[in-house]
Amino acid sequence: MVYIQIPKLKRERIVVLTGREAVSISVLSLAVAFIVFSGFLMYEGADPIEAYRNIFSFAFDQKLGLSTTLHRGFFILFATLAFIIPMRAGLWNVGMEGQFYLGTIGAFAVAYTLPTLHPGILIPLMLLAGALFGAFYGALAGFLRGKLNVNEVVTTLMLNNIAFWLVYLLTVGGPWAGIAESTSRPLPASAHAPIILNTPFTSFLVIGIAVILYIFLKYSSIGYQIRVLGNSPAAAKHIGISAPKITVLVMALGGAIAGLSGYHMWAGDPAFFMIPRPEAYKAIADLTYWGLIIGLICLLNSIAAIPLSVFIGSILVGSTVLVRRLRLPFGLDVLFLGIISLTFVAFQFFHYYRIKIKRRE
Amino acid sequence: MKPDAPILEVRGVTKRFPGGVVALDKVDIEIRAGEIHAILGENGAGKTTLMNILFGVLQPDEGEIYIHGKKVRFRSPLDAMNMGIGMVHQLRKLIPAHTVLENIILGHPKTGKILNLKKAREEVESLCKRYGFNLDLDARVWQLSAGEQQVVEIVRALYRGARILILDEPTSVLTPLEIEALLKSMKAMAKEEIATIPFVTHKLPEVFAVSDRVTILRRGKVVKKIETREATIKALAEYMVGREVLFKLDKPQVKIGDEILRVENLSAMSDKGVLALKGVSFSIREGEIFGIAGISGNGQQELAEVIAGLRKPVSGKVIFQGRDITHLSVLERMKIGIGYIPPERLGVGAIGAFSLADNILMSIYFDPEFSTKGFLNYKKIRDYAKKIVSEFEIVAPSIDTKAAHLSGGNLQRLILGRIIPRTSKLLIANSPTVGLDVAATEAVRSRLLACKKEGMGILFISEDLDEVLEVSDKIAPIYEGRFVKILPAEEARKEEVGAMMAGAIPGGS
Repeated sequence: MVYIQIPKLKRERIVVLTGREAVSISVLSLAVAFIVFSGFLMYEGADPIEAYRNIFSFAFDQKLGLSTTLHRGFFILFATLAFIIPMRAGLWNVGMEGQFYLGTIGAFAVAYTLPTLHPGILIPLMLLAGALFGAFYGALAGFLRGKLNVNEVVTTLMLNNIAFWLVYLLTVGGPWAGIAESTSRPLPASAHAPIILNTPFTSFLVIGIAVILYIFLKYSSIGYQIRVLGNSPAAAKHIGISAPKITVLVMALGGAIAGLSGYHMWAGDPAFFMIPRPEAYKAIADLTYWGLIIGLICLLNSIAAIPLSVFIGSILVGSTVLVRRLRLPFGLDVLFLGIISLTFVAFQFFHYYRIKIKRRE
Repeated sequence: MKPDAPILEVRGVTKRFPGGVVALDKVDIEIRAGEIHAILGENGAGKTTLMNILFGVLQPDEGEIYIHGKKVRFRSPLDAMNMGIGMVHQLRKLIPAHTVLENIILGHPKTGKILNLKKAREEVESLCKRYGFNLDLDARVWQLSAGEQQVVEIVRALYRGARILILDEPTSVLTPLEIEALLKSMKAMAKEEIATIPFVTHKLPEVFAVSDRVTILRRGKVVKKIETREATIKALAEYMVGREVLFKLDKPQVKIGDEILRVENLSAMSDKGVLALKGVSFSIREGEIFGIAGISGNGQQELAEVIAGLRKPVSGKVIFQGRDITHLSVLERMKIGIGYIPPERLGVGAIGAFSLADNILMSIYFDPEFSTKGFLNYKKIRDYAKKIVSEFEIVAPSIDTKAAHLSGGNLQRLILGRIIPRTSKLLIANSPTVGLDVAATEAVRSRLLACKKEGMGILFISEDLDEVLEVSDKIAPIYEGRFVKILPAEEARKEEVGAMMAGAIPGGS
């Protein structure tokens, strides 16, 4: 009797994933995404190497894409940080979209009411209002979760929808409607974000927040409590950590950061300086979901999230050349982003398991 | 077939687990048609392993199983089911969102791709009638009580054609009325030649009332087979816990001091919303170890949690050094010197993804000594962690090692090292040695005795009766949420305490 040895694949649970392993997994998943997309490019008759070169040269060209790359990248960073804080406590904040809308409402309300204020006062006030509005929106879901144990994924997603229509109500034919009827009135010039090094100052603000957040989570007593809760609610309970309190706190903090991005987005890009048509502001808001993916990939490390967010921003901006410059079919740029997010998510598997080849007995 | 011929025979079954644990050692059991054959044993006696072998979940290393005199080999539970063996799990394997009827016919070979619910309903209904089960077939399973869910599992096994029914702790979650109904149904099944094999640790008396024969397992061996009518409950309990003389630990002679903890008439609900602790009163003094002996699920967990502040009592008072702390938070209790060692180590007592230092921080994160202006002073914390690691002999490459990489004994040393130095008055040790090897167990026990020497009061909870007797100054066997008695260690006889914790000797308190 002859036995054929068929190697058997066995998955093994990873107990603790190191940072280095996480980085190599991300790099690998990116490589896979680039390879997969190359197939599509070749199918369309394009040279993949040439296409990728075009994407990045456009995205990082100072005269062309760089400022948008940075602007969108840091916008995504806001959302990533807003996702990371609650996730450290074990909560899925998928309400960055809604918190961003609320932040938008807060900032614009201040700008429209007090347009004559000096920018040095008006802009901080707008940021503050955006943060407070976003914090309120996050805390709402946090309260429902902490006190009544309502699943935060469901509530944040539903609140997103409500927030979308709130903005709609204010802009489309509403009190903030501009001449075009479906966009808002332009922001007063005093509200425009000062530009430093090709990018609005809020980009530096969010980098600062990322650094502070890293220190806060790692070295503060509250940060420690957040991490204990995220790792084991049972352990947290046994050492006297109040889960409802921490839940409201992290959701409010996340909401505040997402709320700040309302100002960053509309007041930081001269292409806007207002709330655009609903399809356009919805498309922008959809970018916040990258926060979820990036947050998970960088293992909730807010420093690692900085370069990754900018990288995603560069692909976001750069891949538009596929259509505009290389005359490839419309939608191919969106496909590329879709492939990247899918491989990122699929490679999450390797955050939890490693595959071992096992010989049959 | 001879009337007394066994329908199920287990011959010389041995099962070893990695690490050299012999869970079953040459076990022989015969089950006759239509008998109620209880299998008794403490936790760790090998009951679960035996059940899993009978149901095809595990394969024995040695020995055979015969059904109707024919040798069988179960590769999976499906094989066992096809040979007429049914299993009623303690952890229900039902789909809560489906109706009772849907759950019963699920997986039945006859069910096929298109459901014939009408025919199935008739069959199930007649089955229920025959054995006296009272079931609403259209109810959703989540709406049912634990007892009713158990009945669903039994009916499902019978519908599948089971002639031998294994019941895992059938009475542990039932109300007295439900127990009565279950026992009646078991008798009805016996009349139809269906054998039932309840595996029991809890609630001896009920099973005693109904079973024909009893086989008692201890440490993987069959220690006694007995006809129930020839036995007494006390004798059964003695066989279960054993009677050998023990090696005695040197209890330090400590002067018993002032009262530290007084518990008055304390009652509490379990997570399932059942009254699990029913009016318990006792007190612990400085330098005293108060041992609670009981099989888990008799209210000791709830008692420990109420004293630690993790669970709100329904009634009663917890008085700590003369102060009523019934409504104090966990954190406040930690601050005044109460420490709680939980029975689950990874995930509750320690966090696997955290370093040793971060784990030790769990007991000091709130201490102003280790933080300034809300920020943790990691230098101080690391120094402290290093001190703890060496003092408690935690074997690890460094204090940055993740707790998940520690062995069970080391992990428990870490937990003790985190809790004991921050506990000044009262230590609640809930099953601190469960699952540990001999050396680690000894280390934990001598740690507790060292705490006693320092004048701490200790509430010690364990399922291991030997251990409770060895360590404690006072012993309270707990049964169904009540202390059967509170005995000074000198007066506690093992057989008697064992019988008390098995419910064989009713008590007051």
